[in-house]
Amino acid sequence: MIELKGVSRRFGEVLAVNAISLVVETGEVCVLVGSSGCGKSTTLRMINRLLPSTAGEILVDGKNVCDTDLQTLRLNMGYVIQGTGLFPHWTVARNIGLVPGLLKWPEARIRERVDELLQLLGLDQEGFVDKYPHQLSGGQAQRVGVARALAADPNILLMDEPFGALDAITRETLQNEMLRIKQQLGKTTVFVTHDIDEALRLADRIAVMDQGRLIQYDAPEAILRRPASLFVETLVGSQDRGLKMTGLQRVGDAMQRHLHPRPRDLDKPGVREHETLRQALSLMLWQGTESLPVMDEDGAEIGIISRAQIWAGGH
Amino acid sequence: MAIWRAPLTWLVILLASAGLMPDLMPVLFPGQASLVYQRDSFLWLLQHHVMLVAASASVGTLLAIAGGIMVTRPWGRDFLPLVSQIASIGQTVPPVAVLALAVPVLGFGDGPTVMALLLYGLLPVLRNTLAGLDSIPAAVTEAARGMGMSSAQVLIKTELPLAGRVILAGIRTSVTINIATAAIGSTIGARTLGDPVIAGLVNGNTAYVLEGAVLIGLLAITTDSLFEALERFWARRFSATPGTV
Amino acid sequence: MFSSPNRVIVVLGALTLTLAWVLDFGVIQPNRIVAGTGYGLGEALGLVASVTFSVGMVMILGLGAVASRFRYSLLTAGLLLLLLVLPWGLALFAERQLPGSSTYARTAMGAGFWCLLFLPALMLGECLQRLRAGRGLALILLALVLTSWTLAVTSGDIDSLSILKEYAARPDQFRAALSDHLALALSAVAISLVLAFVLALMMVRRVSWRRPVFGVVSFLQTVPSLALFGLLIAPLSALSATFPLLQQLGIQGIGWAPALLALIAYSLLPMVRNTFVALTDVPPTLLEAGEGMGMNARQLFFRVKLPLAMPVILEGIRVTIIQAIGLTAVAALIGAGGFGTFIFQGLGQAAMDLVLLGALPTVLLALVADAVLSALASTMRSAP
Ligand SMILES: Nc1ncnc2c1ncn2[C@@H]1O[C@H](COP(=O)(O)OP(=O)(O)O)[C@@H](O)[C@H]1O
Ligand SMILES: [Mg+2]
Repeated sequence: MIELKGVSRRFGEVLAVNAISLVVETGEVCVLVGSSGCGKSTTLRMINRLLPSTAGEILVDGKNVCDTDLQTLRLNMGYVIQGTGLFPHWTVARNIGLVPGLLKWPEARIRERVDELLQLLGLDQEGFVDKYPHQLSGGQAQRVGVARALAADPNILLMDEPFGALDAITRETLQNEMLRIKQQLGKTTVFVTHDIDEALRLADRIAVMDQGRLIQYDAPEAILRRPASLFVETLVGSQDRGLKMTGLQRVGDAMQRHLHPRPRDLDKPGVREHETLRQALSLMLWQGTESLPVMDEDGAEIGIISRAQIWAGGH
Repeated sequence: MAIWRAPLTWLVILLASAGLMPDLMPVLFPGQASLVYQRDSFLWLLQHHVMLVAASASVGTLLAIAGGIMVTRPWGRDFLPLVSQIASIGQTVPPVAVLALAVPVLGFGDGPTVMALLLYGLLPVLRNTLAGLDSIPAAVTEAARGMGMSSAQVLIKTELPLAGRVILAGIRTSVTINIATAAIGSTIGARTLGDPVIAGLVNGNTAYVLEGAVLIGLLAITTDSLFEALERFWARRFSATPGTV
Repeated sequence: MFSSPNRVIVVLGALTLTLAWVLDFGVIQPNRIVAGTGYGLGEALGLVASVTFSVGMVMILGLGAVASRFRYSLLTAGLLLLLLVLPWGLALFAERQLPGSSTYARTAMGAGFWCLLFLPALMLGECLQRLRAGRGLALILLALVLTSWTLAVTSGDIDSLSILKEYAARPDQFRAALSDHLALALSAVAISLVLAFVLALMMVRRVSWRRPVFGVVSFLQTVPSLALFGLLIAPLSALSATFPLLQQLGIQGIGWAPALLALIAYSLLPMVRNTFVALTDVPPTLLEAGEGMGMNARQLFFRVKLPLAMPVILEGIRVTIIQAIGLTAVAALIGAGGFGTFIFQGLGQAAMDLVLLGALPTVLLALVADAVLSALASTMRSAP
């Protein structure tokens, strides 16, 4: 659990972060979102004390970070930044093994851990560990960055616009990866982005910031439904709020479930359980139908989703 | 005008030292015989030293810039790797060795010294010309050409002004080396400010050595501050951020 | 690329062929001082050898002019062969033209010989570049050529060569010059490396140090070598006269002490500049990443900053060593020893072969230092 209590940071005349208070529960993903220069990175960097705070206190699992040994604090927090920050003179393996190495794990255990992480991030190709960062694609490098942050199994993950420099398609793949890792590992995460859609996708709770202040701290759905101010409303885009809402909900939660799975009618297009209502809606619009069959992972039809159900979910 | 103040001041100091050295030395070190180098006047040596360097530097610079331009044109580009290789390997050869090797080929005296200075001084200018022309973003020359400039206009109006600072830095390096090498040229019979130093070393006359060394040092500093001013002047004239052509 | 004629090869080939015939291949000198008689290619090597060479060169020229798939491999082989047999050409020349009667008579390399060495070497460089050959192949070829030349020298067939005669007259002095030269240049570089490192670290830490330090070291670099050597003589002799201890240590107005001081002064600029730039050029995001992951300042410096700075620091060492090797030769003027001694003795006695005995090893040392440090830097860059 991470608690910020009235935390501020001043750079000369500029009050970059202004009395922010928020709580990130254990296992939750908190996304800091706001326009560039609003103080997101500064807030994040105060959590691992890359910057000292000028006022307020930050507690991790109930303990003030200023009372924790700097090294110990940081070694227990994975840190991922934009443009990866991978060391260009080290191989993938050495980069990932950085923190375990600092923690003096035995060689064999580090090697094992590196393999495990590469598998987790879908990078387990032959010879990949011996590559240098400049030989990787942007997406691969960023995955290695995430693997490096996870290497010593830290309790907390801090990520500063990690996917900011990637193209749209790669970014989406990595966001999906994040969701999977979140489900698998359940790390307490603070994630910084300026992209509200990324925030809506990944967050358990969103912290909207503006000019150093925390404007609203709420679940994605609440942010969409009840924006606290005009600023938040503009940020989430008042026009397509409804559509964004459907993007937050899973087909599986809104559909009408069959009593028994049925064999699938192959001619009819369908959606999967874990896909969003937004995807279902889009398919309906395209097909001109009122309802779609829902499949499970094996392809059996397990239910049906109709327009009315999407409508009900969207409100 | 303020930028020319430093080189002018140094020039005055240099000329005054060269002119007054014979009167100054006996005052500074009274009661010692054969205190002042007599074979030539310091002013004459200074003038000759400067002339040797200026002759070799001007010809060498022209040749180097012309060569650099040639191998960066489409019709000369085949020779670019060769020429840049020569420029960089050539610079690893010590200048004193070039001077020494000039003697078996060309003999003793001013001529071989100028030849050696010319050849060696060419290299830094060549290298910087290539680097300067190479560093111009392709977008700049392309835009210039796209707006209808001829190749010659592109060269004169965009490439050379943009590369000018780097080329000037090359000339500065080249002249600095050549002033030092010309002084050593005394050992192969060139008449320069190195003469008193060499004569002093041979005869164990520390006063001669000191006189020559001080004047050579002042000459180098004067020239360097002149180039410093030139570089500032150039920077002011073409505040060369690419695009503001 | 492959279909068009290679103009570089054609031009250099034609130049080689012309100069080889126009200039003297070798010179026969009756003794050490008197200028000798030059011999053109035909006279020097005889009909068979000179025609074989010319035919070979024409073929190389032709290969450069026409399109062929293997032409660069063939050219490389041909040019390598030429460089391999070149020293044996000198042996042939000595056998044909050296009068057996006089023990003072000696052979010397003519301008044509030097052209036959440099122009084909440049062509070989061009071919290797076209083949996109790595440093490895270049080093292997260099080793082959050096082996052949060493064999030629040790075979005794070219003992009549003037420069070898000069060497034979003073092998001990030569060895002493080599060790003096290396000791002086390398110790100056080593000391300045340490000094520069400390200075650069201070400059990284304190912004106020940057301008004055750069100002002083650039100023030192501007002062011509002869002037600096000369200016150090008076104060050092005064010091050594005042403190007998210094005199016992061998510190005097002339000799190695002023030379070392001056060399260190000259080495500071390239060393400080490169070290400082290298240390400050490390991208801040890397440092932030490392710090954020829990590296302490020491680990950050030794595991991230220093390794990333290493190639640029090595480049600084390369430039400095080359410069120091050249300046050490000048330092012979103030009695510091080294190859410069032969150069200036030779110039004094108008004995050109002695000048060569000093100048060629100096050049060779500089080239070897360049090759070794470039290779080191490039391996460091490719597999950091
Ligand atoms: N090291 C610093 N020194 C001075 N000002 C800073 C520093 N870091 C950030 N700032 C200022 O603090 C404000 C917030 O910056 P930052 O937290 O990086 O914004 P964000 O990450 O939201 O884009 C900006 O106005 C920025 O200029
Ligand atoms: Mg930021």
